[in-house]
Amino acid sequence: MQSENAIETINLTKTFKSKIQNSETGFFKRKTVSINAIDNLNLEIKKGELFGLLGPNGAGKTTLVKMLCTLLPPDHGTALINGYDIMKEQMKVKRSLGTLFSVGERGFFWRLNGYRNLEFFAAIYNVPRQKRQERIMEVLKLVGLENSAFDLYQKYSGGMKRKLSLARTLLPDPPVILLDEPTTGLDVISSRNIRDFVQHTVRETGKTVLYTTHYIEEAAQICTKIGILKQGKIIACDTPNALKEKIKKEELIYLIVEQITQTQIEKMHSLQGIINITETTEAGLMPNQKGLCVELKSVDQLPSIFDFLFEQKIKLVNFKREEPTLEDAFIELTKRA
Amino acid sequence: MWEELEKIYYFMKRDMISFSTYKTNIAILVFTAVFGALSFAYLGSNASMQSVLQLYNMSFTTYILIGLAFSSYLTQSLTLVQKTINPWALEEVLVSPTALTTFIIGSSIWSFIWSTGVVVVYLAIGVFIFGVSLSINILGTIIVVALGISAFIGFSMIGAGILIVTKQGDPVTALITIATSLFGNVLFPPQVLPPVLQAISYVLPQYYFFYCIRLMLTGWTIPMILPNLEILALMCAIIVPLGYAIYALCLKTARKNGTLSWF
Repeated sequence: MQSENAIETINLTKTFKSKIQNSETGFFKRKTVSINAIDNLNLEIKKGELFGLLGPNGAGKTTLVKMLCTLLPPDHGTALINGYDIMKEQMKVKRSLGTLFSVGERGFFWRLNGYRNLEFFAAIYNVPRQKRQERIMEVLKLVGLENSAFDLYQKYSGGMKRKLSLARTLLPDPPVILLDEPTTGLDVISSRNIRDFVQHTVRETGKTVLYTTHYIEEAAQICTKIGILKQGKIIACDTPNALKEKIKKEELIYLIVEQITQTQIEKMHSLQGIINITETTEAGLMPNQKGLCVELKSVDQLPSIFDFLFEQKIKLVNFKREEPTLEDAFIELTKRA
Repeated sequence: MWEELEKIYYFMKRDMISFSTYKTNIAILVFTAVFGALSFAYLGSNASMQSVLQLYNMSFTTYILIGLAFSSYLTQSLTLVQKTINPWALEEVLVSPTALTTFIIGSSIWSFIWSTGVVVVYLAIGVFIFGVSLSINILGTIIVVALGISAFIGFSMIGAGILIVTKQGDPVTALITIATSLFGNVLFPPQVLPPVLQAISYVLPQYYFFYCIRLMLTGWTIPMILPNLEILALMCAIIVPLGYAIYALCLKTARKNGTLSWF
């Protein structure tokens, strides 16, 4: 039976050894330290999923990508790409994968034009000769470079280079795509184009994408599922909304009210379900207005607050309910782990 | 004025400190200079010219011309694998469904086409301008060139492997380059060297390559050079698999350590 997972890691482990020199070792000696880049990682990414991998610097994102694309052998465990073992079936894995490295433009030939560069990569990725030209133009069009196909690569802007890297990744039409920080260093428009393109590709073609990024909102925007990696371990893995829910301990609401006294605030504090009330200093408040941040045990307590304000004849000017962002979830979850 | 001079001093100081950290490179540069000077001293000596006449029965011009023309082949082969290990290109190719052997051969083919063109130009100049007389044994030439290139690709793989792991100067390539100029039978026959140094020549494939190629271009037949050709073939049979094994091992080590793209 074929697995429903496009990517699966099984106890995947990678440790790097590095020699360090410090005040303990002295000038002539060096101490060997081990760093667990990927620590017994078990991860499943279903076919057709756009999976975002978030993690702070040094979390192991690039190491994981390099292991999945067979560039880096694991110390223990293994991974399956499209059902093929990265250790035992490397050629099949390579045929199933398209990989974009974080600095993807390095493998291109600067004195060749975009088309000729892709022609070379089409050959080494076994794109059939009779379909090669058509496929190159197809991917160039997909990434919006069809009008610059015959310009020299060295004349391409940063965004164009990254788009060509993306075109190269898509060239063999692989079912699984690994994108390692595809928008790093790009301007806002280029980043958005790439995000839209990736999202569109997944939706239209059903490809599986592993998308690593530093940008939390980017992952929240396009990924169907997100894994948070810290020190080589997945510390949380769920949909963006479910991740936000995980850190949601209490409800936060913001009120702007008129003519409220300190006694009334204290009275309000004693209402059932209210954890805390703090005054906020928001810009644009009138002299008779106050901003209040109210922590509630649950959203069910909201009507009692409104009843209290009505009874006390306190005018409610504005009301805002605060939702945790994925950034809050990321910070909280990485702190907890 | 003094401020500008001081700036110049700090430029020089920066470069000197930076240079002094490349200790292998400094040693290689010193060796190259010393051995280069020795090579040219032997090249200009009467003993070389007389030796060429006795051993090869050809003019000194023909001897030098063939040596220079074909040394470009060897130089290309020697730096070939290093050129392909541009770490970024290497990563991009290694993730594609392409075999390592295809990668090495594919990356080298243009260099050899170019080198063949260079050899043709050298020989044409020799024939048409300097009146050098050639009588080429085509099959023999192809066999000798193929063996010479193979041996040097073997050396190149050893050097590239070491470079992948150490990320610093490649002592193998530097040593082979020095050995070729002094003991390789390129510019003068090693028979003019003191006997101890001559012994070094006889364990190098360069000596047999240049010996055989000169004779294959000047009317000799394969059976006449067979003993030397056999030695060259035997050396290839050792160097090529050894080079490949070292290269593959070093590549595996760098991949395992995750240092493939560190340079």
